[in-house]
Amino acid sequence: MQLDEDQALIRKTLRGERRAFEELMRKYEKRIYGFVVRMVRNEETAVDLTQDFFIKIFTVLEKYNFEYKFSTWAYRICYNLVIDHIRKHQAQVSSLDDESVSPRDLLTSGNVVREDGFKALSRAETRDYVWRVVDQIPLKFRELILLRYIQDLKYEEIADITALPVGTVKNRIFKAKEILKQEMEKDGLLV
Amino acid sequence: MACLSDETLIAYNEGSLGPIESARARDHLLLCADCRRAAAAFRLLDSVLAQPVLHNPPDRVVPQVMQRLFPALPRLTSIAAMVAASAVFLITWIYIYFDFSSSSLIQALRLTTDGTSGWLAGIIKGITLVYNGAQAASKALAALLRMLLPTPLGTVVAAVAVLALAGWLASAWMRPRLKRAKANRS
Repeated sequence: MQLDEDQALIRKTLRGERRAFEELMRKYEKRIYGFVVRMVRNEETAVDLTQDFFIKIFTVLEKYNFEYKFSTWAYRICYNLVIDHIRKHQAQVSSLDDESVSPRDLLTSGNVVREDGFKALSRAETRDYVWRVVDQIPLKFRELILLRYIQDLKYEEIADITALPVGTVKNRIFKAKEILKQEMEKDGLLV
Repeated sequence: MACLSDETLIAYNEGSLGPIESARARDHLLLCADCRRAAAAFRLLDSVLAQPVLHNPPDRVVPQVMQRLFPALPRLTSIAAMVAASAVFLITWIYIYFDFSSSSLIQALRLTTDGTSGWLAGIIKGITLVYNGAQAASKALAALLRMLLPTPLGTVVAAVAVLALAGWLASAWMRPRLKRAKANRS
């Protein structure tokens, strides 16, 4: 059986090579932390959950089936861990109604309107703006946007991880994009 | 012709429409400036989302996980404890097996117990009882070993084998419990 890079590291870890597991963590820590911190919106909690995730992965590594992609298996564990935490600790998840974290302060006056309707914020500013709006959309949309764009997963993989039908995943992602566009229009970023 | 829905525009940008729907959307976009602008906005949104702003995790994340998974100090401590316990066990066993105790420790305990009253006498009697029991068992074992293994070397080999078996049994008993404890701690 041909093993990919992740699976080779897992084999080494299962043989007792600690450094292999460390390498696996280094490879995934940024994406996992990036996902978790945007889900829970608290850095300390995100650190704890990221560490809990890696420990969980280590303890259940023997159960990993080499026929499947490691990343999908790992993201499912990560997703379940984060969702469990949110259900237990964050019953009230703030959304776009929360004015205190509005991204409006990113907008500056006198921006020039471009042909595509976006004001001429720099590319980086637009990126920061959009991702700050993502942080504020309701969880059921945010989680799918994060899985799609941070974890770079296909609709089918997201459906597998979240246990939602593929159609629902697509619809929610479409809806999330509509919300993002509407928010930009509201903030005057689109005309 | 009615304007395209956001859903259609997003699907068109993603290339997930069927060939006929896609052709219709393309034709409409040629004629409708509003839809063209909306499609461009979704395209830009997609390109921005495809380059996520990732927060950097603090440097401590991985080292702390390694520390939790492979705690260095407890590992050394448990090895030291195991070596110490084995040494105590071995010395005690040799002491009892070769009957070094009969003229010294046991006699001393018996003499101490005489004329002593109260809880101290009770404790000493208890220790003596346990020690006598252990000595009787070891004598029986020694007799058995002498019968089966008449040479001193054979006796030593048997003793080492018994010790190794005891150690193996103890580690087999401890390993799943330690693993469970580690998982619970995590």
